[in-house]
Amino acid sequence: MSTNDSVQNIQEQIVALLPRLRRFARNLVRNPHDADDVVQIAVERALLRLDQWRSDARLDSWLFKILRNAWIDEVRARARRAKILMPEEAGEQIGEASMEREIERWSAEAALTRLPEDQRLAVSLVLIEGLSYKDAAEVLDVPLGTLTSRLARGREALQAMLRLPEGDAS
Amino acid sequence: MTISDETLMAYADGELDAATRASVEAAMQGDAEIARRVARHRALRATMQKAFDAALEEPVPDRLIAAARGQTAAPKSAVADLSLAREAAARRKNLAAPWPVAMAASLLLGLGLGFLAWHGSGALLRPGSGGGLVADAALAEALSGQLSDDRSPARVAVAGLSFRNKSGDYCRTFSLTGTNASSGLACREGKDWSIKALAQAPGAEKNPGNFRTAGSEESPAIRAAVEGAIDGEPLNHAGEIAARQAGWAAAPKR
Repeated sequence: MSTNDSVQNIQEQIVALLPRLRRFARNLVRNPHDADDVVQIAVERALLRLDQWRSDARLDSWLFKILRNAWIDEVRARARRAKILMPEEAGEQIGEASMEREIERWSAEAALTRLPEDQRLAVSLVLIEGLSYKDAAEVLDVPLGTLTSRLARGREALQAMLRLPEGDAS
Repeated sequence: MTISDETLMAYADGELDAATRASVEAAMQGDAEIARRVARHRALRATMQKAFDAALEEPVPDRLIAAARGQTAAPKSAVADLSLAREAAARRKNLAAPWPVAMAASLLLGLGLGFLAWHGSGALLRPGSGGGLVADAALAEALSGQLSDDRSPARVAVAGLSFRNKSGDYCRTFSLTGTNASSGLACREGKDWSIKALAQAPGAEKNPGNFRTAGSEESPAIRAAVEGAIDGEPLNHAGEIAARQAGWAAAPKR
């Protein structure tokens, strides 16, 4: 990051990644307001550490990892403060036309939130964010085999909860 | 040949090298069961992607865009305490416009019927014997087990205000967190919590009545449903504990 140009370029790449960072944060944190706060913290940290980013690495994986670490720090800080915050909602009004899709999303979300955190994050990074097993393992700081076994167990649990039709999908 | 489920999963996720991929494909040709298992992995991947793609279309708050461009005034102070941001958000939400009750009713209809039509059962709601929806899983657990003042973030379902309706049944409001936050009202009927009202959360507005808010907030539609059903005053802490101990069994009519 030697020139302002490249810093600006990366900043705009981060802006473009914000929707995915928010989505991952919600699967990490499960409370939409906390999620946005953690995204903000992560983005600010990322900008302070741009020199640590290897440009051959994926920017999204790098940010996911910072995000996850920011949340771990926050959870620890909260435990210290022993301060329990009210759950909040980011509810938005939606039209009836999109209701079917909302319902489907809601159910998939509900199923995902019921997974243990290890499995939830593996599923979130691989199935939803589209990371490779290797990148996802790197974000979560676990060996590849651990990632794949968490992913396999998470998938199995989701299959059972969502009761997807067996084998007739395209 | 035997192929492990993890290999099939990796195949569906595009993680195999060319040689292994070819052997899986050959096995799929020869064995319908293997092809079926791969299809199952692909279907789940597609379902999860589709369900969560909608989140990408939501507008990103300006403060995050500013932060990504390095335009935050004091990064360190932002790290210090999330509760400040939370209070600001709460103040903003108090200004939110009320939500028409008629719209809530139509959403309830759409949600209830659509939900049933989609796959017949879900993670938090299931069809009850009486034709309506009843709470299931985490929602049922919250309604039966949580007290109103039991607050913890990162819960899927939060039970709120408790009261008796005019039939003597216990009813409780609840809120569901997540990107599709919802709130609702459920009454204990037999061993089930029957859903009486359900609304996509519009965000909070000030609660001017005598009622404590359920979870973080109730929609005006849910509050109207409470006002229509309640007999007497909401339960206090001791009342909730007693009702929970009694398994929320209907009290004799006074």
